[in-house]
Amino acid sequence: MPRYRIQAHDANCTGCLRCQLACSQAYQKAFNPSLARIRIGFHGVDFSIRFTTECVACGLCADNCLYGALEKSAEGEPG
Amino acid sequence: MSLGGFAGKVLIVDLSEGAIRKEPLPEAFARDYLGGMGLTIKLAYERIKSGADPLAPENPIVLGVGPLVGTDLPSASRVYSVTKLPSSGTVGWSGAGGVTFGCMLKNAGYDHIVITGQAARPVFLEIQDGEVALRDAASLWGLGVQETCEALWKERARPAGVLAIGQGGENRVKFSMAYIDRIATLGRGGFGAVMGSKNLKAIVVQGAQGVSVADRKGYASLRKEIFEKIRAYPYLKEWQEIGLIKSFPFVDKEVYFKVKKKRVACVSCPIGCKDVVEIRDGRFKGLVACSSSAINLFTPLVYGMKDCREAIRLIARLDAYGLDMFEFFGLMGFARTLVEEGLISPGQAEPRIALDSLSSMEAWAGKIARREGLGEVLADGFQGVLEAFGDKALELAPALVKGMHPYAGPGSALPWDLFGTMELGQVLDPRGPHVGSSGSPTYFARRPLEVFPKHLARMGVPEQEVEGLLVRDAAGELSGLKVGALLRHAHRWFTILGSLGVCARAQINRFYNASFCARAYEAVTGIETPLAELRQRADRAWTLLRMVNLREGLRRERDESLPQQWFGKGRFKEYVSGNELSPQEAQAMIADYYRAWNWDPETGVPTQDALEKLGLQGLALRPA
Repeated sequence: MPRYRIQAHDANCTGCLRCQLACSQAYQKAFNPSLARIRIGFHGVDFSIRFTTECVACGLCADNCLYGALEKSAEGEPG
Repeated sequence: MSLGGFAGKVLIVDLSEGAIRKEPLPEAFARDYLGGMGLTIKLAYERIKSGADPLAPENPIVLGVGPLVGTDLPSASRVYSVTKLPSSGTVGWSGAGGVTFGCMLKNAGYDHIVITGQAARPVFLEIQDGEVALRDAASLWGLGVQETCEALWKERARPAGVLAIGQGGENRVKFSMAYIDRIATLGRGGFGAVMGSKNLKAIVVQGAQGVSVADRKGYASLRKEIFEKIRAYPYLKEWQEIGLIKSFPFVDKEVYFKVKKKRVACVSCPIGCKDVVEIRDGRFKGLVACSSSAINLFTPLVYGMKDCREAIRLIARLDAYGLDMFEFFGLMGFARTLVEEGLISPGQAEPRIALDSLSSMEAWAGKIARREGLGEVLADGFQGVLEAFGDKALELAPALVKGMHPYAGPGSALPWDLFGTMELGQVLDPRGPHVGSSGSPTYFARRPLEVFPKHLARMGVPEQEVEGLLVRDAAGELSGLKVGALLRHAHRWFTILGSLGVCARAQINRFYNASFCARAYEAVTGIETPLAELRQRADRAWTLLRMVNLREGLRRERDESLPQQWFGKGRFKEYVSGNELSPQEAQAMIADYYRAWNWDPETGVPTQDALEKLGLQGLALRPA
C-alpha cells in the first residue's frame, strides 16, 4: 500500500468528519469517528487536525476531504 | 436488531419519574416507515395523547435520526423531532442539520429518543453510549443557547453533540426554538417551549458504538457514484465559499466577505452551509456569531436596519434567547401597528417599537424572552396578542396561517412573489407556515419549464404521472405547472430524504434522486426496497402525520385557509405566467393537492381507499 505525505490545513477544515468516517470504515469496518486514525479537534469555532500513531498515511482521509483541509502529495511519512 | 444503519434502540425518558429505559426499535416500524422523520412520526403518533396541551407534561417529544445518519453519504446528518407545537397547536415535524448531534446519537446506540413528563427542577439529559442520566441543570438555567453549549462542551470532549434551549424556551415563549450545537435550529412553532415546559434545558450526547452498513460492496459503489457527481459539480467551490448567499442576492457579497470568518459543516456534508462571522470594527468589534446561514444574520436589513454589524448583533441576541426571528419580526411589526392604532398604549410599548433600531429590537427580544411587561403577551405569539386585544386587532393582523406569520410571500421577510410549491406549502404543511418540506424545482424562481420533467423524475415522480403535473399549450409546448399536485410530490420527496436522514436543502438534494435513495437505503439497511416501496413508505409516514392532526382537530376551513393578504395587485403571482394570482386559483391548487393524495378534495380527509392502500385503515379521522 502506498504511503503519502499528508499536509493538514486546519483553517480549511469545516468539521464535517468525513476523514474520520472514511478512515474508520476502512480500518474498523464501521463508521466510527472515535476509532479513526485521524482526529479533528474542536476549539470554539476552529478545528485542528492530527493523526494517531496508528496512521499508516494511506491518504484515504485526504481523498475524502472536499474542503482542501487535507492534501496528499508525494509518498512519505505522515505529515 | 440485525438491520444495518439502525442502532436498534429507542431511549425512553420519563422526566416526571426520572426514569430512563431502552427499548428495542420495533423492526416492523422501521420497515414500514423507513426511519428518521417517518419513524419519528410513527413513534409520536403512538404516544401523543389526544387533546393534550402542547405544553403539558404528557405531550411527548420524539427525536430521531435516519438509517443513513452516521454513514459518510453526503449530508446524512439530519435530526427530526415531532411533537405538538404551541404556536400552531398542530402536531408538527421540526428538522435541523444534525451538525455532530445526529452522528453522535447514532454512535451512542440510539435511533430515537422519546421524552415525556416534566422534571421537578431544571435538568439536562446526558447520553454517553449506554450510560444515560438526567443531570441537574441549575447552573445552566438562565443561560443563552451558546453559553449552554459551551458550558456542556467544557466538561466533555467534542464532537459531543448538544441540543439546547435559551431563555425563550425556558419561559415557554411560543415561538422559541431549540438549537443543535448552537448553530442549527430546530422548531419554528415552539419546539423550544415544549422543552422548557418539561424543565429540560439540553441534551448532550456522545458515543463510540459505530454504524455498520448491511451491504458494504453495494454501499461503496453508491458512495463512489454520488461523490463523483459532487466532485464534478462546477459550482461546488462557490457553494462552499458563499453558501446560501448564492441564492439570496439581497445580501451584498462584499458585505458578507467583510464579516465571514469560516464555514461549518454538519457531519458528512460537502457544502458546509453553516456560517461563522466576526465583526471586525466598530462598537461590536470581536463579536463572533454562528448561524445556520449568513442570510439569517442579515435579515434585519430587510426590516430597515442599515448597519450589517447591528443586524448581526441583533440576530445573535435572538439566537442566544432561542427565538424564531421570522415570528419575532412579524410580531413586532404587528405590535407597532397596534400602537399606531391605539390598541396598545405608548406606555405599554416602552421602548418605542422600531424594527430598524437595534436598541429597540434588543430590548423587545429581552422582554419577550423574559416575559416582562407587554413581552408577556407577545411571548404567546400572534394568538396571545389576538386574545389580549380582540377582534379589532384581528382586522389589523398580517397574513397568518395556523396562528403564525408566513415568512415567504407578500408582506413577509422573504418577499417572494411567485406562487410555487414552497409558497403553497406554507398552508399545507401541518406544522404551520414553513417552506422546508415543500421544495421542488420551483425553489429557484423562473426556472425554464424544460428542466421540470428531469427534476420531477429525480424526485421520484412516476414516469406516467409527470405529464399530469405539466400544462401544455395547443402546440404541445410546456406552458404551465400544476403547483398543487406538484406539492404532493414535494412532500413525498421531503419525507424520503428526511426518513433516510439526508438534508433537504436544494444544494444537497440536487445530488440525490429517488432511485439512488432506494438503492442506498437497501444497501445500508439490508431491507429490500424497490423504488415503488420507498415511495409508499414515505406516503404512509406523511399520511400518518395528516391523520394525527385530523385526530387532534385539524380542519381545512380553519387551518388550511389562504391569507387574504396574499391576493391583489402586487401580491402573489401565478408561478409561470406571472399573472396576478386569484384566491380561486389558489383554492383550486389546494383541492388538486388533496386529490393528488387521494384525499377528499373538499375536506382534505384521506379517503378509505388511500388509507387501505397504505395499511392505515381504521385510524380516527376526527377528534374523539
